[in-house]
Amino acid sequence: MDLSEYGTPEELFAPVPAEAAGEEERIDAPAYSYWRSVARVFFSKKINWLLLGLLLVIVVFSFLYPAVIGYDPEVDPYANLLDSESRHLSPQKAIEKYGFGLKWIFGTGAAGQSTFDAVWYGAGISLSLALIAAAINLTVGVAVGALWGMSRRVDKVMTEIYNIFANIPYILLISVLVLVLSADFWTMVLALTVTGWLGIAYFIRTQVMIIRDREYNLASRCLGTPLWRILVRNVLPYMTSVVVTLAAAEIPSYISYEVFLSYIGMGISQMSLGKLIQSAQSAMLTPGWGMEFWSPVAVASAITVVLYVLGQNLGDASDPKRHI
Amino acid sequence: MGRYLLGRIARGLLSVIIVSGIVMALTYACMDRNLIFAQDPVYSRQRGNARQVYQMQQWENYGYVDYVSFEDYLSKEGLEPLPLGDSPEEDSSATAEQVARFTAAYEAEGYTVTRLNARTRGQKYQEGGEPRLFASRDVPFLPRFWKWLTGLIVVDNIHAAKGEVGQRGISFTWFDPAYGGERFSPAIMGNGTHHKYLLYFDGRFPYIHQNLITLRLGQSYSVNQGVDVFETMTDSQGKRQPEEIVYPSGLEALSADDLHSATYVQGSLAAGDAVVKAHFTDDYTNVTTRKQGLSKLGYSFTIGLLSVGLAYCIGIPVGLWMARKKGRLADRLGTAYVVGIIAVPTLAYIFLFRSIGQRLGLPTAFDVDAPTLWMYVLPVVSLGLPAAANLMKWLRRYTIDQMDENYVRFARSCGLVEGKIFRSHVLKNAAIPIYHGLPASVLGALVGAIITERVYVVPGAGGLLTDAIGAYDNGVIVGLTLFYAVISVAAVILGDLIVAAVDPRIRLSDTRR
Repeated sequence: MDLSEYGTPEELFAPVPAEAAGEEERIDAPAYSYWRSVARVFFSKKINWLLLGLLLVIVVFSFLYPAVIGYDPEVDPYANLLDSESRHLSPQKAIEKYGFGLKWIFGTGAAGQSTFDAVWYGAGISLSLALIAAAINLTVGVAVGALWGMSRRVDKVMTEIYNIFANIPYILLISVLVLVLSADFWTMVLALTVTGWLGIAYFIRTQVMIIRDREYNLASRCLGTPLWRILVRNVLPYMTSVVVTLAAAEIPSYISYEVFLSYIGMGISQMSLGKLIQSAQSAMLTPGWGMEFWSPVAVASAITVVLYVLGQNLGDASDPKRHI
Repeated sequence: MGRYLLGRIARGLLSVIIVSGIVMALTYACMDRNLIFAQDPVYSRQRGNARQVYQMQQWENYGYVDYVSFEDYLSKEGLEPLPLGDSPEEDSSATAEQVARFTAAYEAEGYTVTRLNARTRGQKYQEGGEPRLFASRDVPFLPRFWKWLTGLIVVDNIHAAKGEVGQRGISFTWFDPAYGGERFSPAIMGNGTHHKYLLYFDGRFPYIHQNLITLRLGQSYSVNQGVDVFETMTDSQGKRQPEEIVYPSGLEALSADDLHSATYVQGSLAAGDAVVKAHFTDDYTNVTTRKQGLSKLGYSFTIGLLSVGLAYCIGIPVGLWMARKKGRLADRLGTAYVVGIIAVPTLAYIFLFRSIGQRLGLPTAFDVDAPTLWMYVLPVVSLGLPAAANLMKWLRRYTIDQMDENYVRFARSCGLVEGKIFRSHVLKNAAIPIYHGLPASVLGALVGAIITERVYVVPGAGGLLTDAIGAYDNGVIVGLTLFYAVISVAAVILGDLIVAAVDPRIRLSDTRR
């Protein structure tokens, strides 16, 4: 038998050095990387490519586009203020007047400003607000929820606190904060996060409790693994798909909240999507002015739907049971 | 079981009290009290010292401070009014003596005494420049909270009315005098009580009414001046509704006055005009008017209940159907709808429903004075269809989870028909969490829906909180918080009770493990 194609005799029959002991115990399984599998499952669905493309378009328009055209919220909305011919134009008329351009495809608003520019500038604000609020709430919520679920002593205290604070109407808290501190971007972030993490923490706590008492964790505890290590190594990785699914629902809900609060007159001072919708709601009733109202609504809906579906699919893909 | 329930209720009440306390502390301590004056035309017209006094009076009305002016003090002490000097040095000796006593008395109680010197231009006072003297102090949190808490439930009694009312007591009659004393209508009436009628029947739902126990959640200052929040929520609205009534004086008239609502106002008969004297024979002259429409709570609850009904009628069958057709077209369409409702901002789809309704020719605005059944359609649909989506989502999830259980596989292997497994085994288990949410959705209907009511101009309870916040009406804010908190606590307890009743495996009071 000719073994030369497998290597030289020196390579094939070399003694294993003593340092590499334990090598004989190694099981040669196919390489498994968690995140690579997540990516594989995620990208195997064609719809996710489409959604990612849409997300890219949204991000480009809400963050890059205003920067590229040099949108100034102090100046641009009033650029055509003196030209009474330019107010409340439908897209068709605006294009007739100014010539075809992206800027005019949603028509103009009450001061003759471009609705398209205003909508995307507002989308940038709403999106940043939602992302920042979600990042804070999820970080604090998951950290507190994990502790809450693991320790019985923390559980007793936190459950009572939760029972009390869950009864405070959310609008009340937000509006009191907005009234006390001025109604700007960071106040809204504070208002959305001051009790927002509590609900997430409660949800995580329940999930942690379910996993905490599984047999493998019981075994791990019997073998003397410290609680902290069980939490970080055994429980939290299990939570990845739960947290991603949660984030998918949370981010759109903050955009929705922002729109809602602006509509009832408790929004922020910046021209966010909610503020645009609120200021255009009287235009909705006038025939021919509808675009002013429906374009921010449509953009807000598009953003939330894309983020939600994408997040749900990512949550599905990050569940290891689907990696086989 | 009973003991467990009592414990739950006690803990719930404690939580409600703490929440109200937190909100009260938050609203009184954190809201800038100067903001009250931002939209106050009276304030902007006031000048000089008068403006400061006005500010104090308003703060007292809103419950921020205790305020006593020098004039009030003098009249309370039974003294003649004394003029203040332009500055303390110019006081007459009698005034100076009273000022010293006033200052000593109120500073001992922790008040700050403020003396505002006259602002003169030549010989005359400037506008609002008269000299002023008053004592004020911030109302401390705990006494205010305690006062509010103990005043929440008022039980009427025969010593409630101050002044001369004659023989105090409670009487029972089979024939209500408000109907002329001939129609059979039992009523319990009081003399010396705050309300004249304690228990009576009339033609309005729920037909039997009582005034013995009154809930006082908090007096409104700016939203509905001087009226308790609970009254604002429960008073009928719209056009007056006149009926044939007989006044206590025996005068028959077609009037919207609701004699059953008569309350005692001391000396009102003597001070009243000719109309009052012709109608009434005692000081129970303060009556409300009957109106055709429902109350704020009534409209919110009607719309809420109808939408809950709609949501369950659509959500349950569709959710079950989606679970049975898992992965097929019906399931996918349903899921797309659910995702749409969850992801799209509430405001967006309510406006979408509205514009679709408008195309179909449905009324988009609520008209209390010309009620039709059609005007309920859009609000109910706008609330019910999204709620149905939520129900579909959860019912589908629970049902699919149950269908994967071992007992279903066992039943199938035993040869049970698929429909039978679904109806008598899967459904029973999957419906349990749905039962748990039932009280929350029914009671939640009382709270009202902010956006829906605003979009369709429904005079409901949903906008009360935002209105109160917008007007800095702290009394209303705290009262509403209590109301919402009671509802949410009650919903959870009721949900647990229902689940314990339908699921024999769950025993609430089980302490053995």
